Amino acid sequence: MEKFLDFIVRAGSLDRRYIFVVIALVVMLPLFFPLNLPIRPTVSSQTIYDTVEKLESGDKALVSFEYGPSTKPEIHPMAIALLRHLFEKDVKVYITCLWPDGQFMAMEAIQQVAVNQYQKVYGEDYVLLGFRPGNEAVIKGLVSNFRKVYTVDAQGNFLDDIPMMNGINKVADFDYLFSASAGYPGTVEWVQYAADPTGVTMGTGTTSIQVNEVMPYVQAGQIKGILGGMPGAAEYEKLIGQPGIGTSGMDAQSVAHIVIVGFIIFGNISFFVERRRSKKY
Amino acid sequence: MNGSEIFGAWVAVFLTLGIFSYLYKDNPFYKIAEHVFVGVSAGYWMSMFFWTQIQPNLFGRLWPVPEGAISGFFMRTWYGIYNFFGVLLPSVFPDGGIDKGHGTHPHFIYIIPFILGVMMLLSVVSKWSWFARLGIAYTVGMAAGLRAYAFLNSNVLVQLKGSAVSFVGLDWFSLTDASIINNVIILIGTITGLLYFYFSKEHKGTFGKVTRVGIYFLMISFGASFGFAVMGRISLLIGRFTDLITYGSSTYNYASLWVLLLMIGLLAVWTFKGDKKVAS
Repeated sequence: MEKFLDFIVRAGSLDRRYIFVVIALVVMLPLFFPLNLPIRPTVSSQTIYDTVEKLESGDKALVSFEYGPSTKPEIHPMAIALLRHLFEKDVKVYITCLWPDGQFMAMEAIQQVAVNQYQKVYGEDYVLLGFRPGNEAVIKGLVSNFRKVYTVDAQGNFLDDIPMMNGINKVADFDYLFSASAGYPGTVEWVQYAADPTGVTMGTGTTSIQVNEVMPYVQAGQIKGILGGMPGAAEYEKLIGQPGIGTSGMDAQSVAHIVIVGFIIFGNISFFVERRRSKKY
Repeated sequence: MNGSEIFGAWVAVFLTLGIFSYLYKDNPFYKIAEHVFVGVSAGYWMSMFFWTQIQPNLFGRLWPVPEGAISGFFMRTWYGIYNFFGVLLPSVFPDGGIDKGHGTHPHFIYIIPFILGVMMLLSVVSKWSWFARLGIAYTVGMAAGLRAYAFLNSNVLVQLKGSAVSFVGLDWFSLTDASIINNVIILIGTITGLLYFYFSKEHKGTFGKVTRVGIYFLMISFGASFGFAVMGRISLLIGRFTDLITYGSSTYNYASLWVLLLMIGLLAVWTFKGDKKVAS
C-alpha cells in the first residue's frame, strides 16, 4: 500500500510535458480511428432547430459572423450547419460581420454551402454585407437605419441594386437573427442593442467558454436557444441530418474529456496523500 | 492543388507546430511564430479598418462624386484639397471623388469625427498629446451613454423578470424544463449569490451561513466555466490536428511530417548544445 501511495505522490509531480503528450495522443487517435459515440441534442440546440424550422420560404434571416481562424473549429461547423438548414428551407440569408476576419469565415461558409451545395443565387437568396468596424455602434446603426451602416455590400455592389435588399431598412425587418459569436462584439451586444429593443427572435452559437456568460439570456428568454462550441455544432448537424466537421470531432472531444477528468481526480488524490504525509511527519 | 495553396499549407504547418513547440520549452520556432502573428494581426486589422470604414465611410462622405461640374469658391477649394491628396495617394482618393453610395453632396458633419480621429493620432507627439484627451473623452462619453440604457434594459430589468420564477402549475422535477425544484434552486442561488456581495454586514452567524451557500453556487458556476473552457480548448486542438492531418497528406507533399521532423531534429540539437554549454 505504501509503495502504491509513493507511486501516486511521484506521479502527482510528473513533468507536465508528459501530460501534453497524453492529451495529444487521446485527441489524435480518435481522429484516425473514429468510435462513433452517440450524439444527443440538448434542449437549447433543439430550440434553435425548432425556431428555424418554423421559418417559411422567403423569410429573412440575419446571420452575423463574429469569429476568426482562432475559434474556427468551434464556431464554423455550427455556422455551416445553420446555413444548410436555412437554405434547405429557402430562407433568404443576410450576412453581416462585426469581426474583420468574420468576413473571410463567411465567404468560406457561403462557398461551401450556398454555392457548392445548394447552388443559391447571390443577391436573390443570400447577400454578404461584409465587415464594418464600430462594434455595438454598428448594431445600433443597423437597428435604426441599415443603409447608414451599409451602402455597399462586401463586393462593392450598391445595396439599392441588390434585389433581396428591397424592403430591408432596419433589423426589425428580419424574421430571425443568429449570431455566430466568439466574443466581443457578439451575442451579448446583439441581445442588448438588437433583439431586446426590436423583439426579433434571436438564436446564437458561441464558443464553449462563452456559454456560461450567455446562458442567463437564454434562461430569461432573450435568446431562443444556444449552440455551445463543437458539441453544439455536432448536435445541430445531427438534428438536420447532415454530419459534418462538428460530428467528426466529437469522439476526440469525449475521450479527451474523460482523460482530463481522470487527471483531475488523480491530481487531487496525489495532493491529499501528500498533504496527509506532510502532516504526519 | 496549385503551388500557392501548397505553400500556404506549409506556412500554416510551420506556424502551428512553432506555437506547439512552446509546450516543450521556449525556442526560436515559437518566437518566429509569435512575432509573425503579432505583426500580421496588427497590419491586417489596420488595413481592414482603413478600407472598410475610413476610406469608404469617412472620406466617401466628405468627398463623394459630385453631380456635374464643381461650382463655387468653397466647393472648388474643398475638392482642391481632395485632388491634392489624390496626387499623393491615388488609390485612396481616386479621380473625381469617392463613390460609395453616400450621395453627391459632402456630409460636412463628418469633419468632426475626422478631427477627433486626427486628435487621437496626435498622442504620439508629446507636445500635442493633450489633444488626444478630447478624442478619448468623446469616445468614453459616447460609449457610456450608448451602453447605459442597453445594459440597464437587457442585463438588469429583463434579467430581473427572468429571475421572477413561478412555483405553481409546474411538475415537481424536470431535468430539462422549468420545474418547482429547479425554480427553488434558481431562487436560492440568486438570493444567496447576491447576498454574498453585500459587504455592509459582516459575514457571521446566520447571515454568514446564507452567504456560504452563495459561495457554493458561485463555485459551481466557476466549475462549469472551467469545464467549458477545457471543452473549448480541446475543440481548438482538434481543429489544429484536423488541419495538420490534412496537410500531412501526399497532396501537400507531407508538409506536417517534414516540418515536424525538422523541428524535432533542430530542437534536439539546440537542447544538446545548450546542455553541453551548461556542463562546460
